[in-house]
Amino acid sequence: MGSSASHAAAPPSPAPVVASPTTPPVGLAQLLHQKTKENGDGEGPPAKVDWLDLPCPVPYEELQREASMSLKPELFEGLRFDFMKMLNQRFALSHSVFMGPIEVPSQSSDVIKVPSSHYEFGANFLDPKLMLIGRVLTDGRMNARLRCDLTDNLALKIHAQLTNEPHFSQGMFQFDYKGKDYRSQFQIGNNAFYGANYIQSVSPHLSLGGEIFWIGHQRKSGVGFAARYNTDKMVATAQVATTGIVGLSYVQKISEKVSLASDFMYNQMSRDATSTFSYDYILRQCRLRGKIDTNGVVGALLEERLNLGVTLLLSAEIDHAKKDYKFGFGLTVGE
Amino acid sequence: MASRVSLKAKGKRKAGKGSKPAAPEDGSAGGLAKEWSTWAMKKAKVLAHYGFIPLVILVGMNSEPKPQLYQLLSPV
Repeated sequence: MGSSASHAAAPPSPAPVVASPTTPPVGLAQLLHQKTKENGDGEGPPAKVDWLDLPCPVPYEELQREASMSLKPELFEGLRFDFMKMLNQRFALSHSVFMGPIEVPSQSSDVIKVPSSHYEFGANFLDPKLMLIGRVLTDGRMNARLRCDLTDNLALKIHAQLTNEPHFSQGMFQFDYKGKDYRSQFQIGNNAFYGANYIQSVSPHLSLGGEIFWIGHQRKSGVGFAARYNTDKMVATAQVATTGIVGLSYVQKISEKVSLASDFMYNQMSRDATSTFSYDYILRQCRLRGKIDTNGVVGALLEERLNLGVTLLLSAEIDHAKKDYKFGFGLTVGE
Repeated sequence: MASRVSLKAKGKRKAGKGSKPAAPEDGSAGGLAKEWSTWAMKKAKVLAHYGFIPLVILVGMNSEPKPQLYQLLSPV
């Protein structure tokens, strides 16, 4: 568990924006405050923290959003071709072809791959108040997402994955309520899954949250806590759950183009600890993300924007220990 | 022969897909509600499976500015 210390030691944390206490401007003396200020433009005296007017925190499931963007790029194996056709500003159709091996989960440590191919047709409708996304594959599997803003603060989200095989379909209803400086969510899923989570801003930079879930069929329940500390330049999150999972992550934005992230996950049930380090370069014509793992897995994803709205994708993931080498290439055409 | 055919047909109809759930043997309200809700969930699942994407296309084709029908099929 030494990497919680490494999070503090590795990238240097940015100096907090505080006016030097030795020369306070006389007229603004009553506005000086010890805490770092919120707007972060680095000029002028730090604003007094208004404890009744804290910003709204990010949704609970997006707690590690910045970290996931860098640490979990969509690596794939095989050929991928995506075409997105916009019919108008809000409505688009998408066609996607995939040919390549798909990993089949296996009990032993061997990796079993089955070559397969599919064509996926999708329709998206994105409105500020209503979002509908549907995807259907050639083997009959369907993925549907719906998001509807019932009122200004209450939103309903439905996510369903339906298959032709019986008892393999999944659905989830989520009701989100957004308050002034808190968010709460209630989830109902199939197989009698009930969950709720709540996250609250306790300072301009720190938000704390918790979740509780109950699975009816297996009579399992769990409680989790999460914390997120973010400034303009860094985001640090921590999550603990009674399922025995501890997760920490840290993202540092070095500049507009470069950001580095690291992540630590410990699973008490399987006594498994994994740490991942990654970088994310967002350049003018391309986006390059790479990561390395303590399991010895190295991966990278390059998205290069050729002109005319065509993007080339190159993906690689190398695992010497399991002798699993995944290389993929693809093209995305979308206006 | 005719009676055997009619018996078979009756048997098939009873076990057909569109049949409504039969009342449970003891006629309890809870069991009846559970059977009807399972039937409703199965119908809702089939409806969502086949109808969601046509619904999205319908909503999209009626949004402003209205796209033309040929744009649905052409790759341009």
